[in-house]
Amino acid sequence: MSSHSDHTSKPDPDDFEHRLAAKLKARQEREAKEQAGPSGWSQGIRYGSEFFGGVLAGTGLGLLVDWFFGWSPFGLLTGVILGFVAGALNIVRAVRSLEK
Amino acid sequence: MADTNPIKQFEIHPIAEFSVAGLNLSFTNSSYFMVLAVGLTIGLLAVATSRAALVPGRAQSVAELLYEFVADLVRSSAGNDGLKFFPLVFTLFAFILMANMLGMMPYFPAPDFHGFTVTSHLIVTVALAMLVMVIVVGYGLFKNGLKFFSIFFPAGVPAPLYVIVTPIEIISFLSRPISLSIRLFANMLAGHILLKVFAGFIVMLGAAGGALAAVGILPFLMVVALTALEFLVAFLQAYVFAVLTCIYLNDALHPGHH
Repeated sequence: MSSHSDHTSKPDPDDFEHRLAAKLKARQEREAKEQAGPSGWSQGIRYGSEFFGGVLAGTGLGLLVDWFFGWSPFGLLTGVILGFVAGALNIVRAVRSLEK
Repeated sequence: MADTNPIKQFEIHPIAEFSVAGLNLSFTNSSYFMVLAVGLTIGLLAVATSRAALVPGRAQSVAELLYEFVADLVRSSAGNDGLKFFPLVFTLFAFILMANMLGMMPYFPAPDFHGFTVTSHLIVTVALAMLVMVIVVGYGLFKNGLKFFSIFFPAGVPAPLYVIVTPIEIISFLSRPISLSIRLFANMLAGHILLKVFAGFIVMLGAAGGALAAVGILPFLMVVALTALEFLVAFLQAYVFAVLTCIYLNDALHPGHH
């Protein structure tokens, strides 16, 4: 804590360090809060779209295979399952890239 | 009763009717805002850099900040040789950012005076994402030839497992433009609907009168907070789009190491 000596004496260098540390700490906390606020919302949509994209691409590919080779419904079934796996893989990659 | 339909903001109106061989190519409010976003970006950057000085003025330092921000982004996620794609990434970033920011204005000097968010339409974001993917695939094949396809065959996998892993990798690759476009579109759509829903509550409560009108202060505070959040989302989504573009370009530049 700052010592309130009379103002004629020289300012104490330690006092400055203390004040600077307190200011820096408050600023870091504020910045951390600002950083954390909106990221939950955007991260949610990020993971959601990664998974959704995987399932959609897999389903589309499965339907395309069915249409070309006439394997209905097995192309769609395989496509959806592989799409789910690809979506999960996408999420794992997204999380890993955010953690870096 | 005032119109409180939260979806009305996404309607597209033709400004100048125009059609070629039965194809509707009208100049719409969406086109207007796209042209405006491009024009404003070019205009502002031209003004900012017109009187370039060694010690930058206010406008010039903003332009330099923008440049260095995107250049650092490209360098950190696509490496130094990714810098040849800097113009692409910068253009995408500036266009999306400007379109998102223009969309934040509820009233705007446009025909009908209604603001419009270009990026809240899936067709626009899909077009942007497809542009990125076509460049990634095209440049990857051009530079690396068939080695580009090694991104579908991750290293360190036992050979029989490629039967399962390769289709998954292909689907994962095909899902990139989908997730890239849906993320931007969903963020803008959801944010703007949310804003308008809460703004609609103010009008409804105000119209109810009496004590209910006093409660209207609550959704008003919510709208103020959400507007601030939306500005952040508008910037963040332009940033995310640019980052992912760089990450995908990295695959085209250096296939084989994820």
